[in-house]
Amino acid sequence: MRRLLAFLLAALGLSLAQGEKLKACFIYVGPIGDAGWTYAHDLGRKKAEAALPWLETRYVESVPEAQALPVMDRFVREGCQVIFATSFGYGEAVLEAAKKYPEVIFAHATGLKRAPNVATYMADFYQVYYLNGLAAGALTKTGKVGYVAAFPIPEVKRHINAFTLGVRAVNPKAQVLVRWINAWYDPAKAREATEALLAQGADVFAFTEDTPTVIQTAARKGAYSFGHYTPMLKFAPDHVVSGQIVHWDVIYIDFLKKVKEGVYTAKNLENVDYFWLLQHGAVEVGADYGVPINPKHVPLLRKAQMTVGGKKVAVYDRIMALLKDMSSPKPTFDPFTGPIKDRKGVVRIPAGRKASLRELLTMEWAVPGVVGDWPGEPK
Amino acid sequence: MEEALLRAVLFGTPILLASLGALVSERSGVVNLGVEGIMALSALAAFGVALGAGPYLGLLAGVGTGVLGGMVLGLFAVTLRANQFVAGLAVAALGLGASGLLGKRYEGLPLEWTLPEGGMALLAFLLALFLHHLLYRSRFGLYLRSVGENPKAADLFGVSVDGVRYGALALGGGLIGLAGAYLSLAYRPSWTDGMTAGLGWVAIALVILAAWEPLRAVLGAYLFGLLFFLQFRLQGSVPIPSEAFGAMPYLLVILVLALSGRARAPKALGVPFERGR
Amino acid sequence: MRLELDPNPRPQKTFLAYALFLLLAFLLLGALFLAYGVSPLEAYALLLSPLTDPLGLAEIARRTIPLLLIGAGLSLAFRVGFFNIGAEGQLLLGAVGAAYAALFLPVGPWTLPLMFLLGGGLGAIWAGLAAWLRVRFGASEILTTLMQNYLAYYLVVYLVAGPWKGQMVFGFLYTDRFPQEAQLPRLGETLVHWPTLLLGVAAAVILHLLLFRTPLGFAFRVQGENPLAARYLGLPGGRLLFLTALISGLLSGFAGVGEVAGIHLRLLEPAQISLGYGFTAILAAWLARGRPLLVLLTAPLLGLILAGGDALKLSLSMPFRVVDVVSGLLLLALIGAEALGRHRILWRR
Repeated sequence: MRRLLAFLLAALGLSLAQGEKLKACFIYVGPIGDAGWTYAHDLGRKKAEAALPWLETRYVESVPEAQALPVMDRFVREGCQVIFATSFGYGEAVLEAAKKYPEVIFAHATGLKRAPNVATYMADFYQVYYLNGLAAGALTKTGKVGYVAAFPIPEVKRHINAFTLGVRAVNPKAQVLVRWINAWYDPAKAREATEALLAQGADVFAFTEDTPTVIQTAARKGAYSFGHYTPMLKFAPDHVVSGQIVHWDVIYIDFLKKVKEGVYTAKNLENVDYFWLLQHGAVEVGADYGVPINPKHVPLLRKAQMTVGGKKVAVYDRIMALLKDMSSPKPTFDPFTGPIKDRKGVVRIPAGRKASLRELLTMEWAVPGVVGDWPGEPK
Repeated sequence: MEEALLRAVLFGTPILLASLGALVSERSGVVNLGVEGIMALSALAAFGVALGAGPYLGLLAGVGTGVLGGMVLGLFAVTLRANQFVAGLAVAALGLGASGLLGKRYEGLPLEWTLPEGGMALLAFLLALFLHHLLYRSRFGLYLRSVGENPKAADLFGVSVDGVRYGALALGGGLIGLAGAYLSLAYRPSWTDGMTAGLGWVAIALVILAAWEPLRAVLGAYLFGLLFFLQFRLQGSVPIPSEAFGAMPYLLVILVLALSGRARAPKALGVPFERGR
Repeated sequence: MRLELDPNPRPQKTFLAYALFLLLAFLLLGALFLAYGVSPLEAYALLLSPLTDPLGLAEIARRTIPLLLIGAGLSLAFRVGFFNIGAEGQLLLGAVGAAYAALFLPVGPWTLPLMFLLGGGLGAIWAGLAAWLRVRFGASEILTTLMQNYLAYYLVVYLVAGPWKGQMVFGFLYTDRFPQEAQLPRLGETLVHWPTLLLGVAAAVILHLLLFRTPLGFAFRVQGENPLAARYLGLPGGRLLFLTALISGLLSGFAGVGEVAGIHLRLLEPAQISLGYGFTAILAAWLARGRPLLVLLTAPLLGLILAGGDALKLSLSMPFRVVDVVSGLLLLALIGAEALGRHRILWRR
């Protein structure tokens, strides 16, 4: 009888535990509002919450780095079991908080340092940018492609490089003109930088900035553009060709599931690093969900030709073939496959191999074809 | 080259409008440091109304909000005779805060119909001409200037100092509201917190640079617009770091000011008018 | 109805004016909360919540430190008539100076004082520049200090993206972490770097004594109240302004040193360092009515508002802008009340 009772109690306890919610809290570096980095993370959070019935989430937006630690203190006090810090700058605060609260699980986006209870995660666009670059190279009539860039950090540089490699693969003489606005969010600067590039003859645009300003400005003059981070087709339906779209929810759901199942604990995250790409479904090529290339531009891209391994191939076919390959579980193509020299002539990736993760994460150099100021360029 | 001039005008337009707004009230003796906040709130009002009722009603809403903002400042600066500088700063904070708070639900929404930029730029230029005419060739302008230079004498002549100042603040506020509406309905048709991006403060600075004269304000605003654009046009072409270009417009404003000599402010600027003192 | 100057306002009237305006501000704020969609009572409770636990108090203290330093300097500057709105830029220059001393000079027990010296010095020079432009060219310091803020911003971006970018920061926009000797001690596990706090308190007290117990302070006060009279008295207006600017810039620079040596422990993107302290400190200085000692009260008050704003952001997902609304309304209420208290209402034409 007593054994039955114990068994019943255990079963009850187990079912209660399974009914318990997992609380995950998110720290955002900017406001959710405007179609950029933070908006995408919040979208991921919402999708995760919808997909996982046992998940409960909280978030705070616009947290400056100096405040990350106090915010995490508060989060832990409110019972957060998993904390997602969505900006590189939170790194030190995360490590400090991790020491303070060894039972809490932390995940640091774009981070590089880990701990038993700190994992890192990233959804990177470099493959997507290469494919966008192919389209850009095919569509530019002036041979000048414009890139409005935020700050000269390796992530942005890596993306510009991948983009330029794609552009030059189609049009070896094309140039990518880069302009730095030194801000993550600044529509006025984005606008004026785009105007300046238009004045210099750029007719296709890509960018890193948290608003669709570049797209809107380029569209006014009939220039093509690529959306950034979230679906931006709606801002210029005739001029947005493709873009980079992120799916943070893929990573969030995977991570949180593993936490719930006990695969990830607060002791074994030392080597957990997500650098997820097309094959994981963490990023997508597209102007909108499920629209890798805007149908309006497909005929143009079918007509455009490029040389691959000595043979002439339609750019559209090349893009779709590479997309298929890089989205498969075992991709064979990588944009950063050697030999690659930087624009000063120095060999950065030798022949016969592709860039290592470390080389990708610390990229400071520029590929040939990139034209413009490049702060921090190695001598 | 023409591109640069075009950008100078189009980017300079909101600065010009806001400058003219601050200028008008300052000519009557009231410092308006609240431009940034009034502009932000007007931009929000314009956007909010435009979403439902079209850009022209939105424009009206923006102007109306600007006028309201000017009147609030007037309440403190004119009727209550409080410290104008601080009242302005408080209005700026309040405007920025209220717009950020109330505008949250509008963030990121696209706007279907926008205002024509060129038309607005022309309007701004015409308004500057109009203001010049108003200040120097009309009776109201005479009253306005006299109230700013010597309110005691104006009062003795039977001019209602308070009334004229309120009028100037209303007119000025309307211009600032126009600037805000331009930003959210024409320049970048959208709303986000912080979209005024410090242009209100630049406008205040430019009033001083323009020596409180509407036509010089035109030059000042377009010059700033030109420099702002050039920071991107020249980046990469000249071996100077991009940050130096970013700093360029602001540096040049200081230089121009230093070189243009002592700017003559309206004598009674910033001093609350107390009858019988 | 007209308002006329009242030469002898009764204290009850002044009190009533303050009560009225504060009540109005209170109600208006509540209305704005409602318009945003939250219960005003809940919002007010959250605004005051930092007072209720040690974590919150630490947050208030952290915010108070720069507000105290800058506010004390500004209360002097405003008294003398030097409208320094460039505190943000001077703070950044202070951070630059501190970073230089921490990273590029040999370190030892002298490092922290050296950082303050260098950082404060740069802040002082930066403000002094604006004073010089005013005295020499008649350039309004409102304009020049404002423009200088932007220049300081770009300088810091240039440094962290270029020559001072750290070796161990993987290309991000930071310098390397400051060595141990360049880090300010903190209170327990909080972020409160108490040496800077003490510096702020000392600054408020010293400035107060300076202003009210010394001949120089007397000269300052005359210059501020009546520049014409000051000239007739033979006071060197230009030199007084210059000195004021130096002091105000020095203190703002100190605040910058405190931020990077006490909290960030490196130089980083300027928007992450200055956090609007320059502007909020203007409010602190004004609320102190030109008496540096009162900044000891107004700075924590504004610190509370900022920390309360954080709580609102955290719990209700309210945009941080709400603190601008609170400070704006508070300021309007106070200057309105003060102005109303000085007048009497006449019910005739």
